[in-house]
Amino acid sequence: MRAHRRLLAVAVSFALVGAACGSDDDSTTTPATDPAADTTEAPVEEAPEEEAPEEEAPEEEAPEEEAPEEEEYVPPARGDADLVIWADDTRTPVLAPIAAAFSEEEGVEVVVLEVPFDNIRTSLNTAAPVGEGPDIIIGAHDWLGELVSNGVVLPVDLGATADLYSDVAIEAFSFDGATYGLPYAVENIALIRNTDLVPEAPATFEELEEIALGLVADGTVDIPLAIQQAPGDPFHNYPLFTGAGGYVFGQNPDGSYDPTDLGIDSPGGLEAAEKFGEWAASGLLNSDIDYGVMTSSFGEGRAPFAITGPWALGEFSDVNFVVEPVPSVNGGTPQVFVGVQGFMISSFSENPELATTFLLDFLNSEELQLELFEAGGRPPAMTSAFEQVADDPIIQGFGLAGQQGAPLPAIPEMGAVWGAWTDAYEQVFAGADPTATFEGAAASIRSSIGG
Amino acid sequence: MTGVEPVDEGRGADAPRPSPRPVLGNYGSPLGILVKLVALALLNAIVLWGLTVMADAGEWAFLVFSALALLVIDWVYLSRRRIPGKYLVPGTLFLLVFAVYPVLYTVFISTTNYGTGNNLSQEQAIQQIERQSISATDEATRYSLQILARGNPGGDLAFLLTDPDGERFLGTADELVPLADADVVADGRRETIDGFVPLNAGQAQDRVAEIRSFVVPGPEGEIDNDGFGAAFTKLQRYVYDAATGTMVDTVNDVVLVADGGYFVDDDGRRLLPGWRTNVGLSNYEALLTDPALRGNFIRVFVWTVVFAAASVFFSFSLGLLLALVFNNPTMRGRQLYRSLIIIPYALPSFMTALVWRGMFNQSFGVINRWLDVSLPWLSGQWLPYVSILIVNTWLGYVYMFLVSSGALQSIPDELTEAAKVDGATGPMRFRRITLPLLLVSISPLLIASFAFNFNNFNLIYLLTEGRPSIPGSDAGRTDILITYTYKVAFEQGARADYGFASALAVVIFLIVAAISAVSFRYTKQLEEIR
Repeated sequence: MRAHRRLLAVAVSFALVGAACGSDDDSTTTPATDPAADTTEAPVEEAPEEEAPEEEAPEEEAPEEEAPEEEEYVPPARGDADLVIWADDTRTPVLAPIAAAFSEEEGVEVVVLEVPFDNIRTSLNTAAPVGEGPDIIIGAHDWLGELVSNGVVLPVDLGATADLYSDVAIEAFSFDGATYGLPYAVENIALIRNTDLVPEAPATFEELEEIALGLVADGTVDIPLAIQQAPGDPFHNYPLFTGAGGYVFGQNPDGSYDPTDLGIDSPGGLEAAEKFGEWAASGLLNSDIDYGVMTSSFGEGRAPFAITGPWALGEFSDVNFVVEPVPSVNGGTPQVFVGVQGFMISSFSENPELATTFLLDFLNSEELQLELFEAGGRPPAMTSAFEQVADDPIIQGFGLAGQQGAPLPAIPEMGAVWGAWTDAYEQVFAGADPTATFEGAAASIRSSIGG
Repeated sequence: MTGVEPVDEGRGADAPRPSPRPVLGNYGSPLGILVKLVALALLNAIVLWGLTVMADAGEWAFLVFSALALLVIDWVYLSRRRIPGKYLVPGTLFLLVFAVYPVLYTVFISTTNYGTGNNLSQEQAIQQIERQSISATDEATRYSLQILARGNPGGDLAFLLTDPDGERFLGTADELVPLADADVVADGRRETIDGFVPLNAGQAQDRVAEIRSFVVPGPEGEIDNDGFGAAFTKLQRYVYDAATGTMVDTVNDVVLVADGGYFVDDDGRRLLPGWRTNVGLSNYEALLTDPALRGNFIRVFVWTVVFAAASVFFSFSLGLLLALVFNNPTMRGRQLYRSLIIIPYALPSFMTALVWRGMFNQSFGVINRWLDVSLPWLSGQWLPYVSILIVNTWLGYVYMFLVSSGALQSIPDELTEAAKVDGATGPMRFRRITLPLLLVSISPLLIASFAFNFNNFNLIYLLTEGRPSIPGSDAGRTDILITYTYKVAFEQGARADYGFASALAVVIFLIVAAISAVSFRYTKQLEEIR
């Protein structure tokens, strides 16, 4: 009887896990599997979804992505190869032939190992210092704060190569005056508009608000503007926050962020906070919208607008839409956070010369940038490669929005910002006084940066 | 070790001595002895192989422990005496490996500053600081490089350098010679000059040690290779002074001293990366003295206790109530109901927690839609506590129902019938007879359930993530100690603090251990009443 019930429980849990993979958050299935089996299972599990964890540019703001069991992830052993590359499931197939070509031409052995995207970051911290890490990783630029603090990545002298890439991509991979990687893709969010519901692009955000609330009032749609919050999302709110006058950190003339200049409680920031209070009160923004509600509402035509990134477009195949920059808010230009992905070299690589050569002489090619674009759909960071794909209206829309963007801050101080800022949005959406809340959040961010 | 004696008699025929016992112990059948010997031999082989691996990896502490454990196992099992040891040794070893060692390791980590920024050993940190501070000098010309070797791939090294204007140079260990374009000839995809062969990356890699030390004297200083395809004059900004244990910034001429796992300058600015170092009890001190942390800790602790106790109370009450109902033999369809009640138990709790989270969603959840209200189930001031207890009761009552049903059936009917005869009412019989007898057998389970809920990470994390947040605090309203620890250790992005999180974990361990010890003593007293 008891054994029987166990069997049933196991069967039911597998059925549910299967169902869950189709829903919004596949990584929560990790605890279902035997942690010991993670080595083989994990790469497969991460595979099928559009919203794989890597799409969440600010890793810190997506706590569900990190079930505790993931700490037990064991990366694949490196073996005897001269160069080992850690890449995730979408990029491994693209890199493998390139690695093979390099191996053959240069008489060395290059191996590409598949590691789930977020585990690349966590495993590099632990594996590299004990000599088990890779030579090259694929990663997001906003990991740099952590990776450089931990001393596990090596600066790369790009020299004139830097001119081949967009400024924002190079800026993003610069940290403390040095460049830490070769960028390959740039991605950012933008406004997605349902053209059947709203044929004309609103000129201002105020006009957008009026149209959206009007459509809700006459019962055409359920949700005026689909932005994932659950419960407050600084990354997706950033264009509105900046448009209304705020900023997160001041930027130095060279584009790097200045951690002493926190803009969350600047006069413009507080003005923006008040705006968020108004938007929450009018119902334009809703703390309860998560990624699943965002995609389903816009994808089913129950929301006229969404603010999201290229990773969600797969869910929108049933509606006609265009991608465009968020219109000016209160007269100000909305800035989106731009995430840049690229290749970095482990500072514990035993063959850093070979790794550098591979990066600068082989990966640094227009052809590869285009191949990676085909595989992952992220616009290339190399300017000439981007121009070749820019006639696609969707790429163009995201590109236009990105041109107004700023790189997602990679400075370690940003780690102190995400949590407190999320909490502040949550409290404002729950009805707290916006000015006091944002002032309080800024104070606690400053104290944890200082201490 | 069953059926010993009769079989032994059978073997007695071979034995020269009158004693019927075989030499190797009282195991009995030859098969039993064979199995034992094979198992021991396998274990010895595996552990000995493991010892060589540990020796290779330099894990001496593990090596000594494993060797000792193996000796103890062999000593105990190759004897016919030491019967108690045969039962105790495996359990004790597993206890040491899976309980004592992790606890001690956590205690060890809690006395360090391990976390982001303090991830390496000091030696590694010094090495990385020096290495990462090597960069091109400001005025350096960035040449593109083809590594050459004189005559054959093993010959003397030389650099074929091309500056950004297309001017060519031949760099040897002694001099930098300008070349005419005509001197340079193609060799397949590469370029070379007469008398030299170009090296590909593999050939260069084979001679990497030589290449690392090879530099060309140039007008701006020594020209060094960067990878195998570029070369320029480099500068190392930070140099470690082993004599004084300080790091010297050669560009600004500043000395940085080691302090608390970092090199710091006079203004207190830290050089990254830092290293892991012992910080004594300062993590515990921070927990006790920092007013913000202490406030968090007390508030979170109180809710943790309330959550664990209320979860046990409600799930036990509901489970017992149902058990009493279903214990009534006159009820029809009991089997069907019982099967249905099992459902919450059969579903994995992390799934149900997520489903409940969706149902509790204020705007889109079914609960508010059915009730036609807009209650902030997971974001209000007090409702999140209620929601958590509802879900945990739902998850926990089945277990309580099952154990109560079993325990009720073990209470003799005569007792309740005797009470009935004496004129006790139903509630009185329950309070005076059924409940005390039930608690004797169930109390240890209730304590275990309390300890489990005390650390019920999955439920809190999946249902509320500890939210809603409280202004000015990094612990949310519904955080329990273990989720707060997790936030501190892993979720603060670029400033994960494993040392402090370990200190919190040690404190949680002590609290749970103390509560369990006291409770078990109390239940022992209960048993004596019986």
